Amino acid sequence: MADVVADGDLDDVRPTTPADEERRLTTSLSTSVLAVLIALVIGGLILLMSGENPLTAYSAMVDGAFGSSFALGETLSRAAPLAIVGYGTAVALRAGLITIGAQGQVVAGAIGALLTAQFFENAPSAVAIPAAALGGALFGMAWVLIPALLRARFNVNEILSTLLFTEFAALLIEYLLNNPLKPPTAITPQSEPYPKNGILGLVVDGTRFHFGVFAAFAIGIAFVWWIRSDRGFSYDLYGENPSLAQSLGISSNRVIINSLLISGATAGLVGWMQAAGLLQRVYVQIASDIGFFGLVVAFLGGATAGGVLVAALLFGALQSGGLAMQSSEGIPASLSDIIQALLLLGFSIRYAPQIIRLTRGVMANFTLIGKRRA
Amino acid sequence: MNSEPGAGPATGTPLSVRGISRRFGSVQALANVDFTLESGEIHALVGENGAGKSTLAKIVAGSIRSDAGSMSLFGQPYEPLSRREGAAAGVAHVRQQLSLVRGLTVAQNLQLGRPGAPAVFNAAAARAEVERWSDEFALSVPAETLVDDMPLAVRQQAEILIAVAWGARLLILDEPSSALGPLETRALIALCHRLRAEGTPILYISHRLPELAELADRLTVLRAGRVVVEGADVRAADLREVATLMIGDVTLLEVNRPEIERGSTRLRVSDLSISSTQEVGCYGLDFEVAGGEILGVVGIAGNGQESLAKALTGQVKLSSGHVLVDEVDISGSAREAIAAGVAHLHEDRSTGLAAAFSVADNATARYAGSRKFTRFGVRLPDKIARHARELAERFQVRPPEPTAKASSLSGGNQQKLMAARELEKNPTVLVAHGPTKGLDPEAAKAMRDRCFAAAQAGGAVVVISADLDEVADLAHRVIVLYRGAVTDAFPIEDMTSERVGAAMAGLTESAGATSG
Repeated sequence: MADVVADGDLDDVRPTTPADEERRLTTSLSTSVLAVLIALVIGGLILLMSGENPLTAYSAMVDGAFGSSFALGETLSRAAPLAIVGYGTAVALRAGLITIGAQGQVVAGAIGALLTAQFFENAPSAVAIPAAALGGALFGMAWVLIPALLRARFNVNEILSTLLFTEFAALLIEYLLNNPLKPPTAITPQSEPYPKNGILGLVVDGTRFHFGVFAAFAIGIAFVWWIRSDRGFSYDLYGENPSLAQSLGISSNRVIINSLLISGATAGLVGWMQAAGLLQRVYVQIASDIGFFGLVVAFLGGATAGGVLVAALLFGALQSGGLAMQSSEGIPASLSDIIQALLLLGFSIRYAPQIIRLTRGVMANFTLIGKRRA
Repeated sequence: MNSEPGAGPATGTPLSVRGISRRFGSVQALANVDFTLESGEIHALVGENGAGKSTLAKIVAGSIRSDAGSMSLFGQPYEPLSRREGAAAGVAHVRQQLSLVRGLTVAQNLQLGRPGAPAVFNAAAARAEVERWSDEFALSVPAETLVDDMPLAVRQQAEILIAVAWGARLLILDEPSSALGPLETRALIALCHRLRAEGTPILYISHRLPELAELADRLTVLRAGRVVVEGADVRAADLREVATLMIGDVTLLEVNRPEIERGSTRLRVSDLSISSTQEVGCYGLDFEVAGGEILGVVGIAGNGQESLAKALTGQVKLSSGHVLVDEVDISGSAREAIAAGVAHLHEDRSTGLAAAFSVADNATARYAGSRKFTRFGVRLPDKIARHARELAERFQVRPPEPTAKASSLSGGNQQKLMAARELEKNPTVLVAHGPTKGLDPEAAKAMRDRCFAAAQAGGAVVVISADLDEVADLAHRVIVLYRGAVTDAFPIEDMTSERVGAAMAGLTESAGATSG
């Protein structure tokens, strides 16, 4: 049907009506629920094959994700960084840019936050905490600056360059935590404890629900503002049709650089959150897999405000529930990894056309590397 | 795959369509259509936009199904469930929007999705095959150039070539000439005749009546989904009468050019040169356009028109020269061009609109980044929708529904939507690139009137087009582009097909100097 109308053969046959939109929304909602169910069923079959009772496992998972204030705190503190990275990535995605470097930017942000916090060690918390947050965000931005400039100036593919910079970040943090930042007494690579005046306190004692989680709400609100703002519209327009946007005076360089910097800043903020709130020290694994799962959250959430939030909560719950299941029932937490992977697979198929549309320009560039655009 | 294999002998009537009907929602796109394509003929299917031509083509190709009726192909019952089945039965549909995959070469496109293609791509064999077919039809389709780097006319030839290589026994060409200049159209006609001589019947869909006399054997006229004339001999037909039957209102074709008062110079282009690796650039252009004046820029597609349009709208860095609008230099800055009141009707609606965006967002996109319709930087959807509805009604976009997606509008209405965005305020300079291309007579007239209105309001209008009729209808003065340089310039009264044809083909002395 879409095919017919798009060709412009029939005048005014099917304008999109609100009812259509509603139907599409319901369809996409029900497919999402279906995808979750299918993932759970396949996960259940795997459990059965390994001789476990799926119901016990799943109830342990739900319990571990929502069953207590500790569980809820765990879910929220895992969902918050995913949501923040997701929102930042979504800004770039909407502008037609696929940055997959959040992982490295989280690492850079953690280093930046630690260094800033150490600099403000004797300042009041009211200064030290925002300063370290800013430091984290700036380091995250710095980590994407070169890929952004390369993309803007030379059309260097941002997927490749941001991935490469993630590798640089991994090497850098390993060096720093083995050498200059390592306390003389430490055996494993790690930093000094995070300065006390910069630490984000717990909202509920006995959980890991720290005040940094509220940053996710702030970023969520900022994202809602962004997609409704005039500038956000310009960036979306660029993502939809770059040549039209340029003909309307929207600067291509500005969109590319700014949207990548925004994504870098949010990832850097996550680095700060993890260092100052959750772990209170910087480790090599500080970013865990947040950077990569954050991208997944952005994609699965369709780069929309509500979608990213739901996807982040879902993955946060799966991760905290999986670990709880492992400790309470002895069922390996890798089951929850399998479910996450199945979900990813299911959604990728569901959203394949959109993802292909988003990446088409990028893929075209792959074949053109070295051939064009000197 | 329940259809017969494409390799079978071509016996029986190539295509017979009986009683085909198709409805989309409330619109009866086709009603009880009978149609026969005989062997060895080129059969033209004509009609307005929305007459049902493309719907019929898609049903024959298998992309959509009919609600009622039956078809037979070379004497066999034919009921394709998909385009792939249609292709397997030997029906090739070359669409208006070409379907070659960008980022690949012609040779790669030849093998991609080809029935029975080997699992491993054999570059040498594919190249040889492209070259063989290209030679056979006296074309010059490059096997190993990226599709992106080829002019539209060559892409189209490549697509036809691929269809034939895949074993097409019947070819459907949908509006093949709408983006072509006269010489390219001539080449296309020659290619069609060659295909006919080789025994491939062609169903040729077009709005352009003049070329049919030379091209086709018979013609069928569709109007509002019904056959008005079936299989008339083209040579015996009175094309003027056909036009009347097509649109039911012949006066639309006669343009009443309004008297427009000439003002002072508003657009001044001096020593304009652009070098581009992507497309043909421009070389040493000098011209002025006064307020109230319409300048036609003609030339075969791909002779620098793209570069010129971009230069006049500030979208490209110039190698030399200036573009002055009311004596303000706007070269290289789209932002300044917009601030100076330059409007741009893009040649291609798919690049001139944000297809996935709503009518409202498209109609007001010119305000993006200007803070109009915003409070604290946030856009005000209600205000935008209200303004968009007013604009849509003023420019007769149907339906004037702010929430409808731009991609859901028909071609003519998409063009009107683009005009609504660009011409909301009277422009100082209007750059109209193929403003009536591919539109039905009613929509084309509306676009012509927009151009006249812009001139009447004191704007300088530049109409860039490969369609000489379009320019003849609109322009006061004409310049001819050939390989990015001006080969001739004259008032419209002096435009004869001999003079313009020679200049477009680069047969003038000045062209020899620049192209040598």
